[in-house]
Amino acid sequence: MRVTFHEQLDVVAANLQEEGELVLRGLRGCLNALERQDAELANEVIAFDDQIDDQYLGIEQGIETLLALQAPVATDLRRIIAMLHSNLHLERIGDYCVTIAKMIKLTHRLEGDQAMLAAFGEMGTRAEEMIRVAMDSLATLDDGRAESLMQMDELIDRVNRRAVEHVLDLGPEHETREWGLRMLIISRCLERIGDHAVDIGEQVCYVVTGEHREFTDASHQG
Amino acid sequence: MVTIIEPTKELVTIDRIRVAAPTASADPPSSRETVFDVRDLSVFYGASQAVKGVSLQIGARVITAVIGPSGCGKSTFVRCLNRMNDLVPSARIEGTIEYHGADLYGPAVDPVEVRKRIGMVFQKPNPFPKSIYDNVAFGPRVLDMTDGLDDRVERALHQAALWDEVKNRLKDSALGLSGGQQQRLCIARALAVEPDVLLMDEPASALDPIATTKIEDLMQELKNDYSIVIVTHNMQQAARVADMTAFFSVEIDEGEQRTGVLIEYDETRKIFTQPADKRTEDYVTGRFG
Repeated sequence: MRVTFHEQLDVVAANLQEEGELVLRGLRGCLNALERQDAELANEVIAFDDQIDDQYLGIEQGIETLLALQAPVATDLRRIIAMLHSNLHLERIGDYCVTIAKMIKLTHRLEGDQAMLAAFGEMGTRAEEMIRVAMDSLATLDDGRAESLMQMDELIDRVNRRAVEHVLDLGPEHETREWGLRMLIISRCLERIGDHAVDIGEQVCYVVTGEHREFTDASHQG
Repeated sequence: MVTIIEPTKELVTIDRIRVAAPTASADPPSSRETVFDVRDLSVFYGASQAVKGVSLQIGARVITAVIGPSGCGKSTFVRCLNRMNDLVPSARIEGTIEYHGADLYGPAVDPVEVRKRIGMVFQKPNPFPKSIYDNVAFGPRVLDMTDGLDDRVERALHQAALWDEVKNRLKDSALGLSGGQQQRLCIARALAVEPDVLLMDEPASALDPIATTKIEDLMQELKNDYSIVIVTHNMQQAARVADMTAFFSVEIDEGEQRTGVLIEYDETRKIFTQPADKRTEDYVTGRFG
């Protein structure tokens, strides 16, 4: 038993879980700021991303060290590769939170559509749940749970697909159109956050089965 | 295990939370208290120079690996640290080695005392053809450390992670043990006289992978109490176990004289991710020679 190596591997895994927690906090901050049109909270979300980035860099360095010094093989190797990818996915989710926060800052003084904001609240809650499921399945290497992300993602995608029509229906005023266009970016960000959670799930299946497999093929969707 | 994570409702409080980077250490291995301070060390066997101009400091309670190609003087170097080269009639050194601030080669220093404080484990397990117990008790008996000898033997065997495997056959011959067990017995024998430093010259090169892993895990335990210097041909072993790594190489002069030199000495992580010297890079990436 390579005690030290496996302890170090567990440390990286624990740090990745912490990064998942940070990302969830950032996303929750975003969703609250969006609901209340709170520019100050949006600023906090943007500043908070530095913490996510610090965590990301620390994990990356930890993985670099393990690869350089421990020559991991088999499941250990797959676990490390999955952690390397998942680390980047989480960091990207953090970046989408920043984009959403910036959109909130640009629109909080404009007249908005409550139904659309409510739909984003729902999308965001689903995205949070997906991140939890992704991180949990990564911790427990539960590929069945990871595969369930695919269905969860479909719910977010559905809302995103309806967003364009909704914006077109908002009206002809310049302010309304500006608000709507920025909301489309938020919708897209939330949808991408779901995709990144699915990608983490795919990494879990890779660790368990050793096979690279996409849950859904985005390029062939109807 | 992490289960459901409750996100906080607001960010106001969380900006104060700082998460430590996983590899950042408050006390990097290069900053430890110095055990050996080697200055401009050269070693000669008769007229030929085996090692030239080595200067480095070896820290307390870290594992320091010495790596390099055959003939680079890594074993010669490590043997200087407990005056094993005194036993080679033609050998002599230039430069100084200070051990906890005292000149290791000073006129008042007793080489036997040196080897008690600075134990050594060799490539091939070399137990005495005696019982397991007598092997471990050998050093204490010679050095008149026989008070509570049974406890001392048991403690050393525990430290060497061998006790559970031999506790019921202490009177059996050590030669009946497996190679890996014999090597851990030799480590126990070295530990029984309460050394401060453990020098290991290729301690696992004659062992199978499982026995090797046991020795490597054991080294991680031992470094809490001892300073360890390991010579290894196996670069990956240095990467796995060592905090600090010294890379030695060979210089060949016009007269075909081969001399070992220290090329680079740094934290192991640095040596294996960003070596400063091209020759180190070539060696660790397998482009050497």
